[in-house]
Amino acid sequence: MMEKYIGVLKACGADAWEAVSTKTKGWEFYFIGHRLDQNRAKNVEHVTLKVYKKAEDGSLGVASAEVAPTETEESLRKIVGNLVYQASLVKNKPYLLNGPMPFTPLGTKPEPLGDSSKAFLETMAGIRETETEYLNSYEIFTSQVERRLVNSEGVDVTETYPSSMLDVVVNARKDGHEIELYRLYKLGACDSEQLKQDIEELMKFGKDRLSARPTPALGSVPAVFSTDAALEIYNYLLDNLDASYVLRRMSSFALGKPIAESIEGDRITLRSLRELPNSPSNFACDSEGAPIRDAELIRDSVPQRYVGSRMYAQYLGLEDAFMVSNWSVSGGSKSAEEIRSGRFLEIVEFSDFQVDSVTGSIFGEIRLGYYHDGEGNVTPVTGGSLSGNMAENLGCMYMSREVRRYADAEIPCVTRLEKMTVSGVEQA
Amino acid sequence: MKAPFSEYLNGLLPGLRRLIELLEPDYDYVSVLSTDSKGLTVNISQHAKAVGNKTMTTERGTVVRVRRDGLYSEYALDRFDARHPELAAAEIGEALSQQLKLLKATGCQVYETAALSDEPLELLVEKETGQLPEEAELPALVERLSAISDKGMGLSEHMLDCMARAQSTHICKLFLTKNRCLRQSYVYSEGMVAAIVGRDGQNKMGYRSMSALGGPEVFAKLSDKVEEAVRDAEQMLDAERIVPGEYEIITSPEVTGLIAHEAFGHGVEMDMFVKGRALGADYIDKRVGSDLVTMHEGALCAEDVTSYAFDDEGTLAGDVVEIEHGILKAGICDAISALRLGTKPTGNGKRENFEHKVYTRMTNTIFDSGTDSLEDMIRSVKFGYLLEGMESGMEDPKHWGIQCILQMGREIRDGKLTGKIVSPVIMTGYVPDLLGNISMASTDRGVFGSGGCGKGHKEWVKVSDGGPYLKTVGRLG
Repeated sequence: MMEKYIGVLKACGADAWEAVSTKTKGWEFYFIGHRLDQNRAKNVEHVTLKVYKKAEDGSLGVASAEVAPTETEESLRKIVGNLVYQASLVKNKPYLLNGPMPFTPLGTKPEPLGDSSKAFLETMAGIRETETEYLNSYEIFTSQVERRLVNSEGVDVTETYPSSMLDVVVNARKDGHEIELYRLYKLGACDSEQLKQDIEELMKFGKDRLSARPTPALGSVPAVFSTDAALEIYNYLLDNLDASYVLRRMSSFALGKPIAESIEGDRITLRSLRELPNSPSNFACDSEGAPIRDAELIRDSVPQRYVGSRMYAQYLGLEDAFMVSNWSVSGGSKSAEEIRSGRFLEIVEFSDFQVDSVTGSIFGEIRLGYYHDGEGNVTPVTGGSLSGNMAENLGCMYMSREVRRYADAEIPCVTRLEKMTVSGVEQA
Repeated sequence: MKAPFSEYLNGLLPGLRRLIELLEPDYDYVSVLSTDSKGLTVNISQHAKAVGNKTMTTERGTVVRVRRDGLYSEYALDRFDARHPELAAAEIGEALSQQLKLLKATGCQVYETAALSDEPLELLVEKETGQLPEEAELPALVERLSAISDKGMGLSEHMLDCMARAQSTHICKLFLTKNRCLRQSYVYSEGMVAAIVGRDGQNKMGYRSMSALGGPEVFAKLSDKVEEAVRDAEQMLDAERIVPGEYEIITSPEVTGLIAHEAFGHGVEMDMFVKGRALGADYIDKRVGSDLVTMHEGALCAEDVTSYAFDDEGTLAGDVVEIEHGILKAGICDAISALRLGTKPTGNGKRENFEHKVYTRMTNTIFDSGTDSLEDMIRSVKFGYLLEGMESGMEDPKHWGIQCILQMGREIRDGKLTGKIVSPVIMTGYVPDLLGNISMASTDRGVFGSGGCGKGHKEWVKVSDGGPYLKTVGRLG
């Protein structure tokens, strides 16, 4: 099928072109309690074609289209011809597409859908529930994906990988009152032991939330993150290394210059990884054909290299940039136990924790936190919100030596931000 | 002009009818949804300009729903060959029987559900539009957006970038069963201007958006938005942090819409009732807001991005009064959840696209207007904030918590705007308290459809929401 697209693109008169086909075969199972609500299967292909057209003034136009696999060759020619015209309407500073570059394939092979589905079904059936903490509902998604990228400069890369997702709602009840907690796990194949551990931890959080008190108005207080919310904190760093942020001066990160004026906390080391065990994002090349590398992006809180798409990378004069798929943050100087010292609020459940990569603003409504008053007392709390700004915290972050994996990232088990504010629902 | 229904889908019709005939001996319910929705996207910034045909809702494919032994199953494919429907029938039968074998081997129990009704109905709806995205005057649109971006850059010395985006989608959907053939075609459009400013290492972003049922002709209004976006961003540079606490607040129509969506939008999606995930199930006919609170939900209650004629299960669009003068009256429901709950579907069964499952989803969720003027509302505030600009929201239907992240609050003291801005603002609280404290509502209202809505953290669909300015009490941080 790809040959049909390539033939049309080669003949269209564009100065450069790119075609990406992503074929997905997937099985899905939806449960209410442990009863099957619905089963689904899919067999689909998404094809995106992109054409580039140079103008007389040297500028470069680009237009893209997603085309259905059912398009006839005649309609395809019309669509691509139209793309060439559309590309001529927009003017960008010129840049070149990636050419073929040496890389070592990862050799990831997805297991049959029946096998991966069976692993998830059995894992979920084996979750230890109690009378008061139990699975409300869950959704299992397993898929095999084949992605092929071809461009006019000679890139032709095909990668096959597994991609799975598990959506879980856990309920907890006490004295006629019931609450729920939610998780969306993204992974390669089913990791039964890790999932059981995570979901059983979630049930414990549910139990604690039922006995939680309204969060006091704590005002300024250090915040500790020990669940997947911490990914948002590190994604801020990753986004600010992106060439598109740097070029537009939305990032203040500069190579060789520390990310904060003074660093009193742990120094941060962030790496790009080609491969991370059971990640759904184990790719040898990015979506533009650039080989993904194991590389230090930030070392000891000093940016070492920028990342990003071909266009922005070339605008910045970077020749070997790529888009990050997997990444890791090294552990810090203290153990998780040492980080949990003094007065702080550890938040394990938010409604929707966010770190704005442009402004650095940090927000989240607290669904479950543990307030440590610094005198040995720990109180589960709920309600109110946490706020702060990354710029003020970059120099005073602490990270545990222990690390844990989430989807395509490995980060410290515990992260502590010193300069945070808690708006409570009752006076402290 | 009328948005013409897809010739491609008309061409599939005989083959899809035959597919249903081929599947019927094995199943006691068979339906097909086929889609062919085309789009247009133009993105212009100072550094990158691009044109494309993909939007959040462009798609072409087919999903087949079947029922056997009380279990609903679905198969999504994008290569249906109308000349050989037997190939699709065999592919569907093979995949689903493999799944059933696995489910049997693992001892899965089924949530048995009755068969959906199949009342005869033929419908073809082609809604009015000025233009089609497929036929947009692209040079003029690119020029307009480029002019917006350039103008924005000239409005402030602190500008880092000014982005302008225009998207338009021509939705065509065909729903087919043995007895029903429903076809619809409509066009919606949405646009956005975002201004990013930076000063002394601090960045802020202001944005303004627009949406409408209609084609690319509506982007003429986008040019008016750039000054407001830049002004907002500039003002946020000088903003202070809010002192956390409970305040008298006035919500702008956009923020009102976010409250409608998060509070009693998600809270009364009745597939959540089936799962026991929503407190709303226990509050029908009980008070959840002040007398001033009346809220509608349905594809028929506004003309915006999700004002369809029928949903993705072939249920005709509705207009549900969810809250009437503060009393919770009804929820919204997809067809399978309605069967399970013994009620009627409301036309709210939606899919992200043909590849995804149907859930109960919102369409237009809107508070009714009141009788107050904004000026009187501001005059009535001793100390509080006028809240503007929606960033994001999150609900907790099981506990009625709400989180709204907002761009800014304009300080009001002694009945007057002081000119002081706080930003950003996170509003949290307990939904019945927030709605119960509504004491004034303005006569006007706005409807906003430029965003998307997820179920949990996935299943993104278009929705719109809105209402008037509301005065209430909120916890801000």
